[in-house]
Amino acid sequence: MRVFKTISHYLRVTLACVKMAFLIIVEYPSSIIGWLISNPIQFIVGFATIQFVVEQFGEINGWNYGQLAVLYGLSVISHALSMIFFVQGWFMGMYVIEGEFDRYLTRPLSVLYQFFFTQINVFGITDLIPGICVFIYGCYKIHFTVNIMNVLCIIIMLAGATLIRGGVYILLGTSSFFTRSANDFGQYTQEIFDKTTMYPISMYPESLQFILTYIIPIGWVSFYPVSSMLSIGDSVSGFPQVAGITLIVGMVVMTIAGIFFKYGLRSYESAGN
Amino acid sequence: MSSKKTSNKFIKNFKDKLNVYLYVYKIQIIRSMAYKFDVYGNIIMQTIIMIATAYFWKALFNSADSMGGVTVDTMLTYTVVSSMVSVLLTTNVEWRITESIKKGTIAIDMMRPVNIFKVFFAENLGAITALIFQNLLPIFIIGSLIIKVPVPNNLQDGLLFIISLILAFLINWYLAVIFGMWGFKVIEMSALIQVKKHLLRLLSGSIIPIWFFPNWLRGILECLPFMYIYQMPISIYVGQYTSDSLRKGLMVQLMWVVILFVTKNYLEKRVTKSVMIQGG
Repeated sequence: MRVFKTISHYLRVTLACVKMAFLIIVEYPSSIIGWLISNPIQFIVGFATIQFVVEQFGEINGWNYGQLAVLYGLSVISHALSMIFFVQGWFMGMYVIEGEFDRYLTRPLSVLYQFFFTQINVFGITDLIPGICVFIYGCYKIHFTVNIMNVLCIIIMLAGATLIRGGVYILLGTSSFFTRSANDFGQYTQEIFDKTTMYPISMYPESLQFILTYIIPIGWVSFYPVSSMLSIGDSVSGFPQVAGITLIVGMVVMTIAGIFFKYGLRSYESAGN
Repeated sequence: MSSKKTSNKFIKNFKDKLNVYLYVYKIQIIRSMAYKFDVYGNIIMQTIIMIATAYFWKALFNSADSMGGVTVDTMLTYTVVSSMVSVLLTTNVEWRITESIKKGTIAIDMMRPVNIFKVFFAENLGAITALIFQNLLPIFIIGSLIIKVPVPNNLQDGLLFIISLILAFLINWYLAVIFGMWGFKVIEMSALIQVKKHLLRLLSGSIIPIWFFPNWLRGILECLPFMYIYQMPISIYVGQYTSDSLRKGLMVQLMWVVILFVTKNYLEKRVTKSVMIQGG
């Protein structure tokens, strides 16, 4: 009963936060238009450069142009989702330095929950659009048949991918509890994610692939699910299984990140004296 | 007699002013050393990106020995040099300007008896001086060990590279300042700055040189300043030019420096006036 009550309380707060987030769009209309132009440009131009390269070279490690488009699209979609819910992780250093966690600590809800959900970044939606466009374009190019099963698996896979990304942001952000630095590695994090999720990781040496599979499981964000979805290379099992594994990996990463965050919060000592 | 006096005064004045900026420069170097973790973090992140790019090219050249006269060796050198150049072209002057506009400190900054933009420039040079030791040297060493020792095509190319790089630095800096000054008109600048950043990253040849782009796009890019920031100096370094394209390229670089410099000065005057009326 108590658990139920807590959950419904959290849900109500979340709903209020989402409402607030949408009001922000109304507050800064010029800003949302700016992002609506800037984010699609980023990804469309990014995809165009890949297209030019692939046109010159034929294919990247056995992936043709359409398959790369699917990979790119799904990678951008999960990036957009992680931007909406977990982008705060990039700026955790700033919050630590300026003692902003005081506010969260005095409230009855979980600190990590508040940190992410009281400021949902609705502008992340602008990233979703180019992602979906490129994904659909890729599906069209390779004549990918869409059915309910596929769509379900894609949704599960995207949930897992978003959790993996979010978990990595939290892990990186939490490090600033120990280092007391305000530097945000957001740009670099994104660039590394771009390099490892928009291209097939099979082009990297085996040692790097091992790291990306088992230690920092970025390979699960897009490479493994997409290669089983399009049955490229020697994928071991079907798409539903791999999508399931992606979700599990995402949950594990998120749990580890949550534990690490709690541990880090202990060494938080506010601003000033 | 009196003219000598005034010229002495002028020199003294000049020296004092220079000292002010030198001081800002030194302070910035010291400030950049404050956070050790940031330094290590930056090095790790940047080398990961560099290595990933190198393997991207290796994978692409797997099936072809050379593509349009470019070999995999050239591309590996290109990658390492591009990573090093990107350290030298670090600038956050846009953010400095927009932040001080948002916080309203710009009026006070401008009332000080120094030119605020020169202060920004000195700060920027200070930050880069620190970065040469903190980032550029480590990247050079790691890149040489893991990817390839980035030797220039020949000594003359190396020297031309330095000239071109200085011009590229100025183009990059003036472009950043002009974008920053836009913030006086539009308070919410972050989206616009992002657009510029991504276009610069993708269309300047910092990752993918424009040799690989289709002709129509190359034509457009040659009219924009972006490719003269990365592509131009690095392609000189790896020896991918003809004497004709070199002469033309350097001239266009110089032209962009002049155009952007004049634009910047014009905007600076207008901006100063508007701040003095509104906030001063």
